[in-house]
Order: sequence, then structure tokens, then C-alpha cells
Amino acid sequence: MTDTLAKLPQGSTLPDVVIEYRDVRKQYGEFVALAGVNLEVRRGQVVCLIGPSGSGKSTLLRCTNGLETMSSGEVYFDGMPLSKDPRKNRLIRQRMGMVFQNFELFPHKTALGNIMMGPMTVLGLSEEKARTRAEALLAKVGLSEKASNYPANLSGGQQQRVAIARALAMEPEVMLFDEPTSALDPETIGEVLNVMKRLADDGMTMVVVTHEMTFARRVADHVVVFANGQIVEQGRPEQIFDAPQTTRTRDFLSHLGWDG
Amino acid sequence: MTFDWSIIWQSMGALWQGALVTIALTVLTMVLAVPLGIVVALLRESRLKPVSALATAYVELMRNVPIILVVYWAFYVLPILTGVGFSPFLTGLVALVLNNTAYNSETFRSGIRSIRKGQTEAGLALGMSEGEAFRKIVLPQAWRRVLPILATTWVTLFKDTSLVSVIAVGDLAHTALQIRSQSFRVIEMLTAMAAIYWLLGYPQAKIVDWIHRKYGVTE
Repeated sequence: MTDTLAKLPQGSTLPDVVIEYRDVRKQYGEFVALAGVNLEVRRGQVVCLIGPSGSGKSTLLRCTNGLETMSSGEVYFDGMPLSKDPRKNRLIRQRMGMVFQNFELFPHKTALGNIMMGPMTVLGLSEEKARTRAEALLAKVGLSEKASNYPANLSGGQQQRVAIARALAMEPEVMLFDEPTSALDPETIGEVLNVMKRLADDGMTMVVVTHEMTFARRVADHVVVFANGQIVEQGRPEQIFDAPQTTRTRDFLSHLGWDG
Repeated sequence: MTFDWSIIWQSMGALWQGALVTIALTVLTMVLAVPLGIVVALLRESRLKPVSALATAYVELMRNVPIILVVYWAFYVLPILTGVGFSPFLTGLVALVLNNTAYNSETFRSGIRSIRKGQTEAGLALGMSEGEAFRKIVLPQAWRRVLPILATTWVTLFKDTSLVSVIAVGDLAHTALQIRSQSFRVIEMLTAMAAIYWLLGYPQAKIVDWIHRKYGVTE
């Protein structure tokens, strides 16, 4: 499989490439957040974006579904370019789930209501069908007994699991995670990572911005290291964590106390 | 000086009618000025500069001009502008709605702005349009936050409706003041007027207090 792909001409959109970033640049005034990023995400792949804070990994993730507009460059989803007009990206967003650092559950809806919202509003599902789907997803993230809880009455880890279920309710082809465990108490990080791990095992395509190196090491198929708005290194997790090729990667990993 | 309180009992029917007009004015003003306030708040946030500038100008004008002036303005200018003669009630209603819409728009604007951008983004990420995200996510949350302020506005409005008495709307103030000048029972009528406003206003104020307690601080 990899061999056939390698023979295809450079730059063409490969059949199993779901997301392709081409020379993505983003500037906020003087500050260069992304300085020309090229990256491909293949179907079923788990790609972890790591690197110091402010290195551009979250910005790239937010460019993926058009929450952030690029200064220049292109993002292709399933061969379709994202529009510069964020309003035109609704169809693409429906096919990509997103999980936020601060959960962003809707506080005026119960756990079940949060999950039902997308299918009912966007897909036009009946309340009954949306409920069935939401209940199944709550069971999947192990929170069936919290269906009628409001977010304020859930722990951080539980909120994030509901947020994952909410994104899954749209039956997305890709899941984007923006530092999903950074706002969590240490004791609840594990439950969220477990849900993510199971999702990966089910074959979900995932792009994960994370500081959880153990997760990246164990779950990722591909690890991408960012620094100063650029990719400084990418490859299999073993390669990145055990035999980093660049000083930037080594510096970053040693900062985290990672000793391979 | 002698008092003749019987004038109050004799006028009870008229005063009751006046009170009904006052209540009707308050309710109708709020029913119109709440949705219009949301519209003006959205216009102020519009990406189109002329639209937001116009909405801002309207709000700043209404917030910094006495209501009584707006009432007179509506009385004299509205017929010229429209070529139609408005009843005093309708004229008063227009003036109060103009004024209250401006205040409510500010209330809603602060409420809408208090909702984190991430909430809208969560909706957009699900594939909602900006309008859907606003209606389903932002507005219901903003609504809860501004309810205590709207309730306070309501009580203020209830008293401010008395200003339309200057254009002979048959509200409580106008009715009471009319009876006063016909009967010369000044103290009696002013006392009765105060008592009725208080009797009607106090429960409303208590409800407002309750709303503040229930919805004031959430999250």
C-alpha cells in the first residue's frame, strides 16, 4: 500500500489522504503563528501535534475546520479546499468533530441535550432519533447515568467525555482535539485519554494537539513537532521520542523531562 | 385644612381604568421593546459599518434624551412624518418603545458579549450556521444573564409610563391628575395616586428581587 502511494506524483491528493495542509500561513499583525506548514493526514491515522506553547499547533488545528482563517495557503478536506469564507465551510465542519480545551459544553443543556443539539439542529434528526443516538454515545463514553446532569454538575473529565460524545453525534470522519486534557485535574486526565484511545482503536482519524507525551507515544501513528510556527520534525512516535533528529525536538522533550 | 377622602372612592372606577392603561402600556412596551432590543443589539454588532453606526447613533440619542422629550416629539412629529393621526395611547406607546428598545439593546449587547466566543465556536464546529449558533447557544444563555436587568427595567418602565400623561394618555397619572384639577382635592388625589402606584409596583419589585436571587449569579 505505502509503496503504491509512494509512486504517485508529488502534490496530488492521494485517495486516502483526508486532510492536506499546503503551505499554511497565519499571521497576527507582526506575530507569525504559522510559517508555511505542509502536512498530510491519512484515513484512520492518529496524528499528534506536539511542541511548546505558542508554536502554532492549535492554530493549525483551528485552520482545519475554518474556525481560524489562514493568511495564505490551502487546507483540503477529502479533496475539497476549505473556503476563505468561514460561512461556506459548514458542510466540511459537519464531517469533522472538534473537542476543545475548555470543553465548551452548552451550560443551558443537559449532557444528553448537548449531544442531541448537533444532530437535531444541523442534521434535522427527530428528537427521538437524536435521543437514541445520544444515549448510545453517552454509554460509549461511560456516562449513561449522567444523562440528565447539567455541565455545572459534572467533573472536568466527565464534561470532556460528554464533549467528545457531542462531537461524535455528528458521525464525523475526522476528530480534532485541541489540548483536550490541558484544563483537567490530573486524576481525570486518564478517563478522557482512555476514551480517545478507544476511539483510535475503532479506526477514527484523529488530529490531536496534546502535551500528553505518553498518549502520543502509545496511540499516535504519526507525531509532528512544532516550533515557531513550523514543523521541525515528524515521524513515527518511536523515532520522535527515542531518536529525535533535531535539536529543537530534543530541547522540547528534555524540557518536559522526557528521557526516552 | 380639611380633607375629603371620599373623592377617592367616588373616583375608584376612573382610577381603575387608568391603572389598566398603565399596565397595558408597560406590558405592550416590553413585549415590543424586548425583541426590538435584540434586533438593535445585533445591528450594532453588524459587520456593515453604516448599519452599526446608525444603530449606535439611535441608542446614544435615546439614552441621552429625557423620555418626556421623546413623548412630546412623538406627539408632534409622528403625525407629520406618517401623515396619520395617532391616538394618544399609540403615540405614548411609540415613545416608550423607542426609549426602551435602546436600553434593552444595551442590556442584550452586554449579555451577548458575556458569552465566551468558544460557545459559538462549539456550535460552528458542529456545522451550525452563525445564526443557528446565536439562536440555539448564545441567546438562551445571554437571556438568563440579562433577565435580572430586564426585570429592573420593567419596574422603572412601569413608573416612567406616567410621563405619557403629558399628552393626555388616559393612564393612572393622567386620570388622577385630571380628577385633582376638577375636584381641587390635590392632597387626596396625589396620595391616592402614590398608593396605587405603590400597591402595583411593590409586588413587581418583589418579583424582581426573586428573579435576581434565582438568576442573578449562575456558573
